[in-house]
Amino acid sequence: MIRNVSKLLSKTKNIGTQTKQNNQQDLKPQDFLYHDFDQNVETFRSIYVNCFDVMFRSFLLYGKTRALVIYIVGLSNTNGIEDFVLYPFMKETANEEQSFHKLLENQMPVSMVKRINTFTECIQSIATGYPILLCEGENDAFSLGLCKWEKRGIEEPAAEGGIRGSREGFNESLGINTSLIRRIIKSPALKMQPMRIGEYTETAVVLAYIEGLADKGLIEEISNRLKRIKIDGILESEYIEEMIEDNSYSPFPQILSTERPDIACANLLEGRAVILVDGTPFSLVAPISFFSLIQSHEDYYQRPLMGTLIRWLRYFFLGISLLLPSLYIAILTFHQEMVPAALLLSMAASREAVPFPAIVEALIMEISFEALREAGVRLPKQIGSAVSIVGALVIGQAAVQAGLVSAPMVIVVAITGIASFMIPRYAAGMAIRMLRFPIMLFAGTLGLLGIMMSIIAIAIHLCSMRSFGEPYLSPLAPLKFRELKDVLWKSPLWMMDTRPHFTGESNTHRQSPGLAPSPKQGGDQSE
Amino acid sequence: MSANGKGQLLMRNALLLLYFCGSILFVTGCWDRTEVNDLAIVTAAAIDKKENNQIELSLQLFIPKSLSMGGGQGGGGGGGGGGGGGQITLAASHKGDNIADALSKLQAQLPREVFWGQCKVFIFGEKAAREGIQEHMDFLLRHPEPRERAFIYVSEGDAKRFLELSSYLERYSGETIREQSKRKLGIQVTMQDLDEMLTGNAHVAALPYLKIRKEKQTLAKSYNYPDLFATAVFKKDKMIGTLNESDTRGVLWLRKEVKGYTVNVKPKSQKGEVSLNPVSARVKLIPRIKGDEWKMFVKINTEGAIVQNGTNLNFSDPKAIKLLEKAYQMGIKERIEYALKKTQHELKTDIVGFSDEFHRKYPKQWKQIENQWETKFPDVKVIIDVQAHVRRQGYINKPGGMPEQEVKK
Repeated sequence: MIRNVSKLLSKTKNIGTQTKQNNQQDLKPQDFLYHDFDQNVETFRSIYVNCFDVMFRSFLLYGKTRALVIYIVGLSNTNGIEDFVLYPFMKETANEEQSFHKLLENQMPVSMVKRINTFTECIQSIATGYPILLCEGENDAFSLGLCKWEKRGIEEPAAEGGIRGSREGFNESLGINTSLIRRIIKSPALKMQPMRIGEYTETAVVLAYIEGLADKGLIEEISNRLKRIKIDGILESEYIEEMIEDNSYSPFPQILSTERPDIACANLLEGRAVILVDGTPFSLVAPISFFSLIQSHEDYYQRPLMGTLIRWLRYFFLGISLLLPSLYIAILTFHQEMVPAALLLSMAASREAVPFPAIVEALIMEISFEALREAGVRLPKQIGSAVSIVGALVIGQAAVQAGLVSAPMVIVVAITGIASFMIPRYAAGMAIRMLRFPIMLFAGTLGLLGIMMSIIAIAIHLCSMRSFGEPYLSPLAPLKFRELKDVLWKSPLWMMDTRPHFTGESNTHRQSPGLAPSPKQGGDQSE
Repeated sequence: MSANGKGQLLMRNALLLLYFCGSILFVTGCWDRTEVNDLAIVTAAAIDKKENNQIELSLQLFIPKSLSMGGGQGGGGGGGGGGGGGQITLAASHKGDNIADALSKLQAQLPREVFWGQCKVFIFGEKAAREGIQEHMDFLLRHPEPRERAFIYVSEGDAKRFLELSSYLERYSGETIREQSKRKLGIQVTMQDLDEMLTGNAHVAALPYLKIRKEKQTLAKSYNYPDLFATAVFKKDKMIGTLNESDTRGVLWLRKEVKGYTVNVKPKSQKGEVSLNPVSARVKLIPRIKGDEWKMFVKINTEGAIVQNGTNLNFSDPKAIKLLEKAYQMGIKERIEYALKKTQHELKTDIVGFSDEFHRKYPKQWKQIENQWETKFPDVKVIIDVQAHVRRQGYINKPGGMPEQEVKK
């Protein structure tokens, strides 16, 4: 009887943080609430001893039954507690012997009320901001949907801006994030599996996917990997990423993180799974391929030709950011015959006063650039501009004038720096930037041969990697010709009939073929 | 526990890799690593024959300091020109038994390593050329650094003088010579071409023949510039003679290398001359063997553009054009005939490439004659057929700046 959640109360919507702990099989017997009100109160007081922010408010229901509201200051809506709980019960006198359920239904104007019966659930409810109502003579506690805590509004994502497209970004509140996704994908096929991860933080995590698009095995795998996590706390989605990704020692991210709801939804629609974590605006997308990391949402919000061109520009600059300093070093130290004579003379002249070998010069410059970048991220905004000015002067003008580095090297480093920021995913850009350094060492010691060796090594590594069973370089390797339409070029939307292969074999087409407007199909109405 | 162990192993491997990569930097290896700062970049090279059967190798070396403007301090003009203060190149030379010997002795004088990779101009002194260039070619072709696409020249007198020549528009004289070659006004021969010519059917070669011209300037100094419109003719690897500028042009027609220069022709019964620019020239060499008689039909189809009209002809008149075309035709024919007279009958060397045409069309007959081509070549009868057209007249029809009455109707 106790375990049955009454039909009346279970109508409450389950929004994310409210996890159905009833399903948990490992409930200890002593976890259930006592029948005795005093004993319950005593237990809660002992649990929350030395917790200054937990409030116990006891009062009399209709002047006779003892009741207690427990909540945490700042997480719960105190006005709501006063107006909807305390006021109606303290003001009115009981007209007759009403059943407690009826009473709740009629006297307490709170939309979300949930009946719970274990201490664990109560504690969870209180910690999430839902006040607990305990009454004398009642075996269950009531979790009231009166939470209210300070949260950031929906803002434009800082790291993933754009010219066109939605300006909404996820924020730190899971409830808002799920609602942002739900607002885009309204079909009930969008499923959201809740779970709590973290011994102490008990962070709410939601695994979202579209039933019928996402591969069942994939969802099961992700869900298993998530459930396996036993960790003290989850402070950011990176914690989850590291615990579930395939290869932690690779510089390349195997899970995409995004703070844009439209990117999350686009990936859901392609049959991928999205993991939302409470407390961070960054959601995770898995599985991904290398190409998802160098594609931007704006490729899809632009005319196909522009999208293709910009994609190629990005591929080109990806190569630049990985190889330009190394090529410069290799040519300057080993292959001087490879550049036009006039250029070599200019480079030789500019390097004449530089006391370091090219490799050392390049390392100095690249490392100071990385330092500047890192300092720029960490420093308070007010100082940020000062740093960039000092940085530009120091590693640009002054270093050249002092004869410590040559002007062409400054140009190379600057172009490389800009190129690395052309990669839309910051994590992927980091990977490329990091790989630049070993390649530079190889270029400085073995010349072009070293560069080729490193490229081959990187290619082998990329080919060997998988993200949740998905080959990392797919659809290029293994070659899936049908899917190149979204990698090597960007086809018009009406040509993208087929879904990516990992959405499963049953549901291969995302739209009816031949959607291109033409006069025959009524595209031209004026005739 | 095992997962932990695996992680540690990976970590250890990564650290080891990092350690090895890093340590490469400190190893005194990297055996062919040379910083640009340690290179003496050769921009042009000259080979001269000296007494006692010795050669003199001269290198035009780039002085990086001259361009870097005072130790890396930005700004400041300077640089450029020859004669004055900012000398950008240095001509270093040394004698030796052969190039390799001279080079090693020269290298001993230089603080930086000689780098041939950017040397695109090689000049042989006339004396060296007359005594044979084969052994020099061997060095240049064998060494990995010199470019096969470098241009090769023969110079009047000592080749070294060209390296010391001051340059006005370009940064150094080597560049001047190279750029002039690229304009294809004289013949243009790369190291690879030369190798192909020497080992080809006729065993002859033609190289541009460099001279120094002096232009007197009214003010200040005189102005020296290299002139490469003449041609040095080689039989086997030895130079046997030269062709002057107009003969060279005739040869250029036959070698199908003619390109943008101006032909002055004098139409019949006219006082002035008309300058034409061959816009397109299709040259066909058609060999024919009839019995013992070897013939070569030279068919030239060319179109010209009028550059300047010094006559009083109005070229909107088809008759006038006909007249001009006739003259143009004769002009080209004459040039070719002169050139042929020189090469075929005086020098008796087939630098125009008839041998290849015969070889291609009559491989069997060629086989028989292969070794006597030298004697056969002067006997080849050449029939020249020039089709010349004047297609473009520029912006105006009538002679510019001439009163209406004086224009011939």
